[in-house]
Amino acid sequence: MDSDEEDYVFFGTPIEREEEITNRRKKAAAEASGNLRALPPWKQEVRDEEGRRRFHGAFTGGFSAGYFNTVGTKEGWAPQSFTSSRKNRAEVKQQSIFNFLDEDEKAELEGTLGTSSQFDTFGFTAAEHARKQADKEQKQRPSAIPGPIPDELVLPASESIGVKLLLKMGWRHGRAINDSRASSLYDARREARKALLAFASEDAKAPCPADEPVEEPESFTVQPSDDDARSSQSLPAFVCNPKQDLHGLGYDPFKHAPEFREKKRLHLLNDKQRGDRKTMSIKDSLFGSKSGKAAPGFGIGALEEYDAEDEDIYAAGYDFEETCIEDDEEPSRLGIESKQPSRLSIESKQKVVARDQGVLPGFKVASVSDYQLERFDPPVIPKDFAPHHKFPGPLETLKKLDVPSPPEVPPPDDSNLKLLIEGVAKLVARCGKLFEDLSRKKNQSNPLFSFLSGGNGHDYYERRLWEEHQKFGVQAKLLLDGKLSPSMQKMTAESRGKLLGEKPLERSSRETTSSSVASGEFQLQFNLSDTFKKPDSFSKLPEVAKPFKDDPAKQERFEQFLKEKYEGGLRSTGYTVASNMSEAARAREKLDFEAAAEAIEKGKRGKESMVSTQPLDFLASGMQFTSGGLEQVENGHAEDLVTKKMYPRREEFQWRPAPVLCKRFDLIDPFMGKPPPAPRARSKIDSLLFIPDSVKVAKPEEVAITNRDVPAAQTGAQMTIEDVAEEEIEIVAENVERPVDLYKAIFSDDSDDDVEDLNTKKVEDPEKKTEVATTALNRLIADDFLESLGKELGFEVPPDTPYSTNKANALRIETPNSDSGNAKFSTGTYLNPGNETAQDGDSQKNKSIPVRSGGYNSSKHTVGLLNMSGKVNEDKFAQEDKKVKSPSSRQRNWSSSSSSDDERSRKHSKRHRHRSSGSYSDPSSDDREHYRSRSKGKRERSSREKSSHSRKHSKHHKHRSRDSPSRSHRGSEREHSEGRKEKRKRRD
Amino acid sequence: MLKTKVAPSLAGLARPDKNKSNMSSSELPRKEANVLKGHEGAVLAARFNSDGNYCLSCGKDRTIRLWNPHRGIHIKNYKSHGREVRDVHVTPDNSKLCSCGGDRQIFYWDVSTGRVIRKFRGHDGEVNAVKFNEYASVVVSAGYDRSLRAWDCRSHSTEPIQIIDSFLDTVMSVCLTKTEIIGGSVDGTVRTFDIRIGREISDDLGQPVNCISMSNDGNCILASCLDSSIRLLDRSTGELLQEYKGHACKSYKMDCCLTNSDAHVIGGSEDGSIFFWDLVDASVVSKFRAHSSVVTSVSYHPKDNCMITSSVDGSVRVWKT
Repeated sequence: MDSDEEDYVFFGTPIEREEEITNRRKKAAAEASGNLRALPPWKQEVRDEEGRRRFHGAFTGGFSAGYFNTVGTKEGWAPQSFTSSRKNRAEVKQQSIFNFLDEDEKAELEGTLGTSSQFDTFGFTAAEHARKQADKEQKQRPSAIPGPIPDELVLPASESIGVKLLLKMGWRHGRAINDSRASSLYDARREARKALLAFASEDAKAPCPADEPVEEPESFTVQPSDDDARSSQSLPAFVCNPKQDLHGLGYDPFKHAPEFREKKRLHLLNDKQRGDRKTMSIKDSLFGSKSGKAAPGFGIGALEEYDAEDEDIYAAGYDFEETCIEDDEEPSRLGIESKQPSRLSIESKQKVVARDQGVLPGFKVASVSDYQLERFDPPVIPKDFAPHHKFPGPLETLKKLDVPSPPEVPPPDDSNLKLLIEGVAKLVARCGKLFEDLSRKKNQSNPLFSFLSGGNGHDYYERRLWEEHQKFGVQAKLLLDGKLSPSMQKMTAESRGKLLGEKPLERSSRETTSSSVASGEFQLQFNLSDTFKKPDSFSKLPEVAKPFKDDPAKQERFEQFLKEKYEGGLRSTGYTVASNMSEAARAREKLDFEAAAEAIEKGKRGKESMVSTQPLDFLASGMQFTSGGLEQVENGHAEDLVTKKMYPRREEFQWRPAPVLCKRFDLIDPFMGKPPPAPRARSKIDSLLFIPDSVKVAKPEEVAITNRDVPAAQTGAQMTIEDVAEEEIEIVAENVERPVDLYKAIFSDDSDDDVEDLNTKKVEDPEKKTEVATTALNRLIADDFLESLGKELGFEVPPDTPYSTNKANALRIETPNSDSGNAKFSTGTYLNPGNETAQDGDSQKNKSIPVRSGGYNSSKHTVGLLNMSGKVNEDKFAQEDKKVKSPSSRQRNWSSSSSSDDERSRKHSKRHRHRSSGSYSDPSSDDREHYRSRSKGKRERSSREKSSHSRKHSKHHKHRSRDSPSRSHRGSEREHSEGRKEKRKRRD
Repeated sequence: MLKTKVAPSLAGLARPDKNKSNMSSSELPRKEANVLKGHEGAVLAARFNSDGNYCLSCGKDRTIRLWNPHRGIHIKNYKSHGREVRDVHVTPDNSKLCSCGGDRQIFYWDVSTGRVIRKFRGHDGEVNAVKFNEYASVVVSAGYDRSLRAWDCRSHSTEPIQIIDSFLDTVMSVCLTKTEIIGGSVDGTVRTFDIRIGREISDDLGQPVNCISMSNDGNCILASCLDSSIRLLDRSTGELLQEYKGHACKSYKMDCCLTNSDAHVIGGSEDGSIFFWDLVDASVVSKFRAHSSVVTSVSYHPKDNCMITSSVDGSVRVWKT
């Protein structure tokens, strides 16, 4: 209840205009009692319970003017703020037809206007058009939802321009965008290998480990860079099943009774095929009910909201096997005649078998198939077939060289003819006989060319031709000597290799001796591929990634695999493996290798800069190779060791059980009779400084150590030393203990109106007050004391954290201010002795007001009743209020900034309660009051002494505050324990 | 009276039993004696009463059920919770129950009438575990609101008499001794609050603690962590004595316990199997599949070689040698 009341803040007391109200009441009461009865009805007045006159409506003998004789609203006349029309004249508004049209009319009017698709660059209008078309169609069709479908629900499916572009570039739905290379072909191959692996595994256990490497590449692809992986995954294709029923969207009539869904479906089916009506066994459908994901129907009431925490985390536990239903469904779906239950079971069994082989449900595999694969023998190669192609052209020319030379013929006399003959001969020699034939045919009638057909100069032509041939042949030979002629010869592997820049082959003795012919062949092939130049990227690889370091043989194989992979070109059907490896093992290994290779590639692509370290890293951590696992295990061990060193970690804190708890546990309260503990240092530190965890951890340990020291210190041997030490720091200890006393003093009188009490006290012992008000010395003390108090309360803050120092400064500034203000106030009231008598009652009231209030309302109220001097004070109140408010708000901030955990604890602690109360009380006066009460307790000392003493303390505090934060806290901790020790001793 | 007479003799009988089970693992309860069916939905906890003649189970169907596990009979139903019931505990004299769950309340029941005597409200979140103290005068509850709260059963106040909120995360489990309150939390700590000396001892395990249970000699604490391992801590020094691995415990609140002879550690697994480890060398002595789904709770008979397990599959099973 206390806490509830604290939340309210009362601002002043309400004003009651007593005389008015009472008068009216009296009148009303008198009239009600019967005075009026004496009057004739026409003289009687109708009045409400407040005594005000009421007019009544026509039927009740009068009229009622509006709402309680006012305007027709409760608010009454709302005065309008005056705006001069001189400057802003009413504008002449342009009126259009639209001002006078209703919404639907406007729509109609606008309907006549349309956009043309001619200028529709981005396809918006087209989309709109499509939508309208769809609407029209929708209207023609019978629709599930009567009336037009709202636009928000149904949108035309039009593809975005990006999708269109992609489609044009060859992308298809459901396909990953970035690497189309890998997906289909590569996956198919992988699948095949997986299948092979599954089949080839000899023992039953094999599939299990086989699964692992299959999974791992997934994690691989995900690891290097997230979005890359995401984009490379194929997109899910959404298939919407059309809505065919007449229920509302999203409404599922069988939500809570899935067993009926089955029935309904069957019913529909039966309706469709009236011919073969079948009886559906209810029993099966009831089994179906179990299989349906019936949530555990209990749980949440209708009025309780169903949020995330109510999700059935155990949902997996409800999956029952659904096989029996499916078996039953399928014949019905296919419209097969229903069978007798006994037969059905057999049927379904068969079907299970059949399904495995990929046969359509409802069909059987034929025992004898009429489809047979015809095989043809390979064509017979004739024995004289030479697998070499002969080139006719050049060889012919060369043959002609062997033709015996015609006799030397003198050139004809006609130099023209001679030139012509020579030219033709040259051409023929170069272009072949065909040219001769052609020109002969062409120039048959031409006498000049008669030499071609044995006429004049034919001999010479023959001779020239031969000469030309000879010449050309030599040229050709020269030409071919470098290049062509060897190709005519048989090419040896060496020469070809030389030509192509290969290394000469060398068969390593190891391989040849190793084993069978087949493997030798592979080796050869492999070596061939080895001889080609390596791509640059690959040459780096071996140093970079050695995922199978610990198994050199395997690593070697892996490297081979990599080479094959990157070389392309010559790809061996199988690669060299130790002959003792089984097929399954080889397949598995290959999967491993592929995964590793992919990882390496990905890693390289992702982080070029970190090539050297990164891929290896995540190879070791993310993947489990069949034999590479060893390394990982080692890593794990190392980690374990680390964690073992760190954990479990023990810390000790002080904890105070509630007295009732101790009582209920039948134990003696360890803190019995002791003041409530100072808040735990840890939480204070947490809230004020934002220290990283490690530091925080270190501190409580120290605390623990000191705590452990405490009992030891109590034993005799160390006592003397401890005593000395204690004497030395006795002052300190006392000093530290003081806050505890203070707390007690503050919190023990936990009465509700303690603040008010203080004020009344102020009035009650004026000599005290005057003392405070007048002596500057005392004020000084108070200031000092407040400062120290602030420190004690935990407002003291080390200088190196700017955030909190701010606050501390603010507080330190704030307190003296408010203090002085208060002092002014008190002097103000008491330096008005002349008014005192008249003011007495009022001032009393007046004083209580500012304390209770944080706002202005109350002071406004008081204005009316205060006389002049009161008004002077009132000003101060306002100031006062503001000052008081500011620290409080700051305190609020402070608490909210602290960790929530801490806040929670404070909510329940008394300390918090007091702090919050401090937000509307005047903290300074409060504190001073406590100080006074303390001083009252130690009255034997003179005020002088006191002041000096407290000043000493404050100095001490200043010293401490100058220290490093950790030290000061530690120090306070130690002092705490010391203080406790001291107490214990005293008790002893 | 009769019970008190029987008890010593039973204890006498139990002693040789203990020795036997110490010697051989063949005495572990691996045979299914009874299946207690009745809960609709997951059973979240199953607990023997103090003498082991009865057991209680609670679950997602918002009920608490009292069974005779030896005869497989369902005795009583306690319905009042508004949401799932997560934990239940009986007083040593079998007269009162306390239970807690998703409705953020702790219910204090009368066993025989089945009425709720008191409801304790105050937790700001679901309540994960409850325990009575030795005198059945205080109920201590562990909640999602990162606090342990102690509730007074003697007075009529429904306010907690103590709130321990030094935990940094959900408190999953609580254990009480005569003088201490021990809580295990998701922040990875097992915190012991010693009422007698007014001290809090925090043992940080570095892994979220799912469930804690005391050894029968009171010297050790078994803490099941969410990294699929169960850790055995020495209570006096905070030392890690042993780790038990092999089961799966990653996302569900699951129990672990020791056999009554402290020879073996028992833990459930998320795949529905039960694991028995040797206490000393942490080897898996036995492992069998007990349920078709997550094993939420294991409770061992205080004297006999008998064990009950509960599971998400909705059944409570009784296991004997």
